[in-house]
Amino acid sequence: MSAIRCRQLCKTFKQGDEIITGLDHIDLDIETGEFVCLSGPSGSGKTTLLNAIGGLDTPDSGEIHMGDIRVDKLERGPLADMRLHHIGFVFQAYNLIPVLSAQENVEFVMEVQGVPVAERARKALDILKEVGLEGMEDRRPAQLSGGQQQRVAVARAIVSHPDLVLADEPTANLDSVSAAHLMGLFQELNENHRITFIISTHDKRVMSYAKRLIKMRDGKIIGDEAQ
Amino acid sequence: MKDVTLRMAWRNLWRHWRRTWLTVGAMIFSNGLLIFAMSLQFGSYDMMIDNSLQAYSGHLQLQHPRYLDEPKMRYALDDVTELAERLRRELDLDSISARADGFALASSNERSYGLQIIGVDPAHEPLVSTLPGLVKQGRYLEPGMPGEIVIGAVLARNLKVGLGDELTFIGSGFDDSFAAGIVTVVGIFESGIADLDRALAQVDLAYFQDVFAMQGRGHSLTVRAQHVDDVESLQWQIGELLDTDKSLSLRHWDELQPGLRQSIQADMASNSFMYIVLIVLVAFSVLNTQLMSVLERTREFGTMMALGLQPARLSRLVMLETGLMTALGLVLGIGVGLVINLYMARVGFSYPGMDEVALKFNLPERIYPSFTILSMTLGPAAVAIGSLLAALYPALRLYLLTPIDAMRAV
Amino acid sequence: MTGLGSHFKIILTLSWRNLWRNHRRTAIMLGAISVGVWAMIFMTSLMRGMVDDMLNQGIRNLPGHIQIQHPDFLDDPSVVNSIGEPGGELLTALTQNGTRSWANRIRVPAVIASERESRGINLIGIEPAAEADITGLPAQISAGRFLESNQDKGVIIGAKLAERLETRLGKRVVIMSQDPDNNIAERGFRIVGIYQAELAAQEEFNVFAARATLQKLLKIEGLVSQIVLVDHDYRDVESLYRRVEAATPDGLEVKPWYEIDTYLAAMFNLMDGFVLVWVIIIFLALSFGLVNTLVMAIFERVREIGLIQALGMRPGLILYQILLESLLLLLIGLALGNLLALVTIKPLESGLDLSAVAEGMAMMGVGSVIYPSLTLYDVLLANVVVVLLGILTSILPAWRASQLDPVRALNTH
Repeated sequence: MSAIRCRQLCKTFKQGDEIITGLDHIDLDIETGEFVCLSGPSGSGKTTLLNAIGGLDTPDSGEIHMGDIRVDKLERGPLADMRLHHIGFVFQAYNLIPVLSAQENVEFVMEVQGVPVAERARKALDILKEVGLEGMEDRRPAQLSGGQQQRVAVARAIVSHPDLVLADEPTANLDSVSAAHLMGLFQELNENHRITFIISTHDKRVMSYAKRLIKMRDGKIIGDEAQ
Repeated sequence: MKDVTLRMAWRNLWRHWRRTWLTVGAMIFSNGLLIFAMSLQFGSYDMMIDNSLQAYSGHLQLQHPRYLDEPKMRYALDDVTELAERLRRELDLDSISARADGFALASSNERSYGLQIIGVDPAHEPLVSTLPGLVKQGRYLEPGMPGEIVIGAVLARNLKVGLGDELTFIGSGFDDSFAAGIVTVVGIFESGIADLDRALAQVDLAYFQDVFAMQGRGHSLTVRAQHVDDVESLQWQIGELLDTDKSLSLRHWDELQPGLRQSIQADMASNSFMYIVLIVLVAFSVLNTQLMSVLERTREFGTMMALGLQPARLSRLVMLETGLMTALGLVLGIGVGLVINLYMARVGFSYPGMDEVALKFNLPERIYPSFTILSMTLGPAAVAIGSLLAALYPALRLYLLTPIDAMRAV
Repeated sequence: MTGLGSHFKIILTLSWRNLWRNHRRTAIMLGAISVGVWAMIFMTSLMRGMVDDMLNQGIRNLPGHIQIQHPDFLDDPSVVNSIGEPGGELLTALTQNGTRSWANRIRVPAVIASERESRGINLIGIEPAAEADITGLPAQISAGRFLESNQDKGVIIGAKLAERLETRLGKRVVIMSQDPDNNIAERGFRIVGIYQAELAAQEEFNVFAARATLQKLLKIEGLVSQIVLVDHDYRDVESLYRRVEAATPDGLEVKPWYEIDTYLAAMFNLMDGFVLVWVIIIFLALSFGLVNTLVMAIFERVREIGLIQALGMRPGLILYQILLESLLLLLIGLALGNLLALVTIKPLESGLDLSAVAEGMAMMGVGSVIYPSLTLYDVLLANVVVVLLGILTSILPAWRASQLDPVRALNTH
C-alpha cells in the first residue's frame, strides 16, 4: 500500500493579512522502497507536503493516494490509525515524551498498537540496539544528547516496521557526526526492510544519501531527479 | 507496572509536584472535613432519634385509625391488654405495651394543673420506654397496685407535691361520665424533655380503665424494636398479622413524631448545601490543575497524535491522571478523617453554647461520631466524582486539537 | 518604602497584565473565589434569617425583651406568685421615652372545656392596646375579632385548639383555674376570635382573655403575673434593662430574654461562631487553589523574574508585584462573589418556602418560610477574611519568587 500518488495538490495559509502558497498543483509519484529527499529553502512547501502525505494536514484541493486509500478523504479516526500502523514520523525537534525512558518511549507506541507486553519489551530493546543505544534504554530524554534523542525518535518511528517513514529536517539539530550516523541508519533500514523514506531537508549532507532528489520552491516542484 | 500508559500518567503527576500536592491537599482537606462533619451529623441523628423515641413514643404504635389526627378518648381500641398479649406471643417480642390516654385536672392541697394521664402496663412499659428508668425519686409503678401515680418533676414542683402525697384528679370518662380518683405519688421522673416533665403522669392501666369507664379499651399499643433499623421489618410483620383488621392503624415513628424526621431533613438540606460548596471548590482546583497541565503539554499531545494516537486515548490519559490524583486524595483524606473520628470518638465533640441547643433536640452535651461505611465514604466519593467531572473539560478539549497546530504550540 | 511609592503605577500595570496572561487560569480561580464568597454570604444570610425568625418568634412567645415578675414565677407559674401593677418609680421608667411598649400580663395554668373535650392550657390575660407590638397577635386573628378592651368578656383561642375541642367561633367554653386561696375559679367565655400562629404548639396551648376580666375571675384585683417590655431591637436591650432594673422595687425579678430562654440565647451566640467557622472553612478550601495559581504563575515566569532582577529591580518590588497580583485576583473575585450573592438573595427576600419540612422547622422553633437576612457585618466579615488571609497565604510563594537567584533563573527553561 505504500505507493504514493499526489495529484494537483493545493494548499494555502493565511498569515496575518497575507495569503501564503504552501502547495501549488503538486503532482508526485513515489514507489515502494524509494529513498526520497525533498529539498528547498524554508517556505518552499516541503513540510506542508510531508504533513499532507502523512495525513496530519488536509490539502485544499487535489488527491493523495496511498496504495488503494484516498488519504485526503479519510476521517480523523482512520487517519490516526493509518499513521499508527503504517507511517513512522521523525520530527525536527525530537518530540519524545519527557517522562518516559528511551525504552518506554518506544514501547508506548507499541502498547497503543496492541503489541503484547513481552514482545513489546523484546522489540524495543532490539531496535534500540539497532540504532546504537544499547545500555541507554533506561535514560530519560533529558539525560540523552540531541543525536541520541533523535535516534530514540527513529527507533520509535520504525519499531513496528511501517511502510513509510516521513522525516522532517531530522538532522537540523544534530552535529555532523550524529547526522551522518542517522542517515546511515536510514539508508540501512531502507535497504534491509524496504521501508520508503521521504526526508525533507536543506542540508547538503543529507541530500547526498538520497536516491531521488526533489527540489521545491514556492510550493512547486522545480526539479526531480534520480541520483 | 507493565502498563506504560499508567506509568506515564503517574510520572506526569509529579512533573509539577507542588501543584499536584496542592490539589491533592484540597481533596484531603475536604475529605477529612466531610468525614468529620458527616460522622458527627449521622451520630447526632441516631442519638436524636433514639433519645426522642425511646423516651416515650416508641418505634411503632397501633392505634384507632382516627386517633393520630384527633387524639380523642372515643377513638379507642377494644381489649388492648389481650391484643398486646397476642402480639407479644405471636411476634415473640416482649417490648409491646398497651396504653390508654386521658386528660384530667389534678389537684394537690395547694395547686391544680391540667395533665395528660396515661394508663400503662407496669410490667411491660419499662420495655418500650425509658421513662420508668428515669424515675429519680421513689419508684416506678408496680403491677397489681392500683391507686399509685408517677409524675414528671416539673409537674411535681408546680403542684407542690412529693413522694407519698395524695393527688385528686377529675376528668371525663369514655362514656362522657364524670371520672375522678385519688392517687398517691410513688415516683417522680425527670426526662429532660420539657413536654413530658411538665404535663405527663402515669397510672396502672387497669385502674385507668376502671376510673375512666374504658371497659377494657385503650388507645395504643406501643412497640419498640430491638434497633431502629428493624422497625420496617417489624412493621411488615405486624401488618401481616393484623391484615384484615381495618379498625387498627399501625403508625411508624415518622407519623408519631413528624417533626423529628423533618428537622433531620431540614438539617440535612442545609448541611448538604455546605458539602456541595466544598466539593465544587475542590472541583475548581482540579479543573485549574488539569487544564493547566493539558495546555502546557499541547506540543506533547500533538506529537502523540501525529504518531497515530486517537484523541480518545489522550482524553483517557488525562482522566487516568485525574483518577490517580483523586485516589491519592481519597486514601489520604479517609486516613485523616479516620484519625479525626477516632479522636472524636474518645473525647466527643462539643462547642461552647452547644449544650443548650443539644438539649432542645434531646441530645447530650457531647456528640460522638457514628462510624459507618456511609459516613466514611460518602463525602470522599462525592469529592472524587466532582473531581473527575471537572477534569472532563480539559480531557474533552483534546478532541479539538489537531496535530499540526498542537505541535506548533509553545 | 519609597521604592514602592514611586514605582506603584508600573507595578500595578505589571500585576494587572500578568494576571491576564493566563486568562483561563485566572478565570477559573475567579470562578472559585466568587463561588466561595457567594456561598459564604448566601449561606450566612439564610442562617441569619432563620435564627432571626427563631429569635423573633421565641421572644414573642416569651413574650417581650425584658420581663419583670415574682422571683418564683418562672419556676412556679402560679397565681400565688403574682406582683402588683407597676407604680411609682417603675411606672415612670416604663413610660419614659425609649421603651417601645410595655404591658401587664397575667399567665396561669388552666383547663378549658367545651361540650365535648377538655384540655390543659396557658391562660393569658392581656392588655389589647399593647399586644400588636408584643406578640403580634392581632394580625394572627383568622376569624372573629381581637379583644377590644381590658374588660372584654370574650376569649381568643388557637385554630388547632378549637379543632381539638370540637368547638368554633361564637361557641361558649368553660375555663377553670384557681385563685390564690386554692379555690376553683371557673367561668364561661364566648369565643370571640380564632388565631393562627406560625407554630402549632402555641395555637394549641395559649388562650387569651382580657386582663381585668381575669383579675376578677382569679380574685387578684390590682395584681398581675408579669410586666413585659419590648425594646427597639432584641440585639440591644442592655440600656433598657439597666434602667428598668434600677427602677424596679426590691423583691421583684427583672430578666432579659437571653436569661429567660437559654436555648434562644445559645442559638444567638452560636450564630456568630458559626458564621466565622463557615467563612474560614470556605477560605481554606479556596486557599489551596490560590496558592496553586500563584505558584504556577511564578513558575512560568522564572526566567522573566530573573530578567527583571538582572535589570535592577529589587527583590522587595518583586514581592510587592506578586502580592499585588494576588490582591487584584482576590478583589475581582470578591466583587463577583458579592454581586452574585446580592443577585441570588434579592429574589428570596419575599421568603424561601420550606413548608415541606414545616414540622421539623417548628421543632427548631422556626416558621416554614425563611427570609434571608443580609447584614453588613457578615458581608464585611467574609470580605475581610478573604483579603487578609488571602494576602497572608500569598506571602510565602511571593517571597520565594523574590529570592530567586537572577543568574540561575535566567538559565532555566
